[in-house]
Amino acid sequence: MNVWERLAAIDRRWIYLACGIAVLMPFIIPVSLPVYTTPEVQGVYDAVKNLPDSSVVMLTYDYYPSTLAETEPMSRAALHHLFSKDCKIVTISNIPLGGPTIAERVTRELAAQYGKEYGTDYVNLGYKANYVAVMKGLGSSIRSIFPADNSGTPLGQLPLMQEVDSYEDIDFIFIVADNATADYWVSIVNAQYGVPMCCGATAVMAPKMYAFMGSGQLKGLLGGMKGAAEYEQLIGHKDRAVRGMDAQSLIHLLIIGLVVLGNLGYFMGRREKGIGR
Amino acid sequence: MPAHLRNTIRIGLTALLLTVVSVSSAFAQAEDGPAFLTNRINALILVIVFSVAVMYFTQQARKGKTLFLRKIPGLDAVEEAVGRATEMGRPILYIPGILDLDEMDTIAGVSILGRVTKIVAEYETPLIVPARYPTVLAACQEICEQAYAEAGKPDTFNKDSVRYLAGEQFAFTAAVNGIMMRERPATNIYLGGFFAESLLLAETGNAAGSIQIAGTSQPEQLPFFIAACDYTLMGEELYAASAYLSHEPLMTGGLKGQDLIKVILITVIIVGVILSLLDHWNVIHFFDIYSGWFQEA
Amino acid sequence: MRKTVPVVTAFVTGVIVTISFFFNEHTTLIGKVQGGILQWVTIIFGLALALGMVSITRVNFNKIKRKQEGWFYSVLVIVSVFVMAIPSALPVSWSPMFGRNEGSLYYWLWTRISEPMMATMFAMLAFYIASAAYRAFRARSTESTLLLLTAVIVMLSRIPMGEWFLRLFNESLPDWVNIYIMNGFNLSVQRGIIVGAALGAASMSLRIILGIERTYMGKG
Repeated sequence: MNVWERLAAIDRRWIYLACGIAVLMPFIIPVSLPVYTTPEVQGVYDAVKNLPDSSVVMLTYDYYPSTLAETEPMSRAALHHLFSKDCKIVTISNIPLGGPTIAERVTRELAAQYGKEYGTDYVNLGYKANYVAVMKGLGSSIRSIFPADNSGTPLGQLPLMQEVDSYEDIDFIFIVADNATADYWVSIVNAQYGVPMCCGATAVMAPKMYAFMGSGQLKGLLGGMKGAAEYEQLIGHKDRAVRGMDAQSLIHLLIIGLVVLGNLGYFMGRREKGIGR
Repeated sequence: MPAHLRNTIRIGLTALLLTVVSVSSAFAQAEDGPAFLTNRINALILVIVFSVAVMYFTQQARKGKTLFLRKIPGLDAVEEAVGRATEMGRPILYIPGILDLDEMDTIAGVSILGRVTKIVAEYETPLIVPARYPTVLAACQEICEQAYAEAGKPDTFNKDSVRYLAGEQFAFTAAVNGIMMRERPATNIYLGGFFAESLLLAETGNAAGSIQIAGTSQPEQLPFFIAACDYTLMGEELYAASAYLSHEPLMTGGLKGQDLIKVILITVIIVGVILSLLDHWNVIHFFDIYSGWFQEA
Repeated sequence: MRKTVPVVTAFVTGVIVTISFFFNEHTTLIGKVQGGILQWVTIIFGLALALGMVSITRVNFNKIKRKQEGWFYSVLVIVSVFVMAIPSALPVSWSPMFGRNEGSLYYWLWTRISEPMMATMFAMLAFYIASAAYRAFRARSTESTLLLLTAVIVMLSRIPMGEWFLRLFNESLPDWVNIYIMNGFNLSVQRGIIVGAALGAASMSLRIILGIERTYMGKG
């Protein structure tokens, strides 16, 4: 096997090792390049900024712990932005594993920073099975689907939920999701109930969400960690996503480098064999 | 049940439902807003046209008219893949996606499982069907049992070949990857709703040297399947697969109806683009004229 | 009977939910019936979890009983399932270890074991994507060359370093990537697939509601 053939067929274990090193490097040597704002993220920022103060906003925690690196920074930035505008927040999760627990942990932590009180300023509805039925059901009555909040307190005992009982009482929905629930929020809740919304999605999901941005159903889009980093920068709370940009940069460059090497090996190997002349 | 009786039941139930709708509308309280939502008329028109088109083509198919279906290489490869597994004496792994049974992707995946299992049963090849949701597990067990019975080999069906692994996405993925590496299936078939695990599964299958056939309606996962699998069904091909494999005219009628709606939508899009351009070039402001029709005098 | 009841149920519930879409769900009877059906769906899906518990226990118990290869892992599976499930279902009033609140056994296992393991699995995607991209992105034809170039440009535009690099050529290059690739080609292709898939799903739903498609029950 000559050098070109080797380049065209690098063992996957070497690739894994290179990836590991690329992710670790920025922890040792941080770079911190500026992040430019895309129109989609600006759309999220403007949509939240233009909400009247004290609006009721539904924030979804539709993600598993596996995607925390991408999605949690979005939830945290959204909470910073919303609490700073004194918005009332209703959190909900259509994911049984992780979602309600993460909602509890993250919302309480940020609420404490802004001196917000549970039940009056924010409520965690928790999780109910079958998200399509739940999303449609919330249009009729939140209380019929969630008689109690995540900790089992009846909704009637929570002052905020005495004023909020269907989508009609919700001014905006901030979706943070790592799965198909994002599509359903758009196709069921926006299309059928007309609630304005924006979405924070993982980088893999983001290309699909551009279709909903183009149709005007989403006011803005945070695509992966890059989107979260742009949003953090806009609201003036540079946090985990901005820090994660270095590792993401290196791994993207590594993949590009590998693709170039693979093609180089492929073409030089063909040339030596006289194929394609 | 005889066809005429089935049709009578359908017509009777439709009439009953229409009565319920009329009665419910009559009982609607006017002060709470209108009972009928006029802003959804466009959707109603589409539903009616769509239903009529599907029923018309189904009727045509029932009368014996042959409807053309283009080739889907991924589905044509299923039998070959089962044959390969039989020759190698290795099992076939079939994953009907990671969504619950109320999702169309899963129903499509589960429907195709029935067809594939029948071929598998005829070849007496071992089959492994991991399920992520208990409802999917129950449906898959039922389908496989039925398929083995229809293939005339009910005794060879092992109920544990359809198994529940884990409710969590990546726990499920890890468990399936474990099966791939331990049991080395000759063929992996992924048909249903797939998400972030698509590449984890397909890459592991690729490393294990299996032939892989995938299909999902999730556009963001298609590049991963295309990169790591031998055949990939894209978007609606997944929903057409069951009809394609069945060769039943009744099922293909539905696909023709779907195509007609697609032609209508494409026409609407083209007309919309032309009108927008004319509006942009100040030739005719159709959209202003259109909205003017609905403004009160 | 085994086939007729599901077909009739699918037909009746399907038609009710479809028709109710066009009526006010607060004021009409059909809207309320639809609400009831949706609640039933939620309850049935919750109850179905028991089926999963039975299956996972039976498959692994059989493995242990027959001392099959790797039976020890089956012991771990059964122990893990019950240690996570039972204490989380018991009331907190019995012991702070029960339930799912902070301080419970479930919470501890979840945050200390499940969360890091899930994050690890997802993180493995980076490794797999690198290896799959290396294998798949070869300029074998005009189409694959276009795919390769587009992928490289988009990857560059999604990172600060790449953005900075692209701006060396032209200040607006990353914006053009966003306008023409993401909001142009990507958006139209995504829409095409979404519309096609939605029509496919609608057609299949109609086939199920009308009882033409019955393969999901093992019939056909």
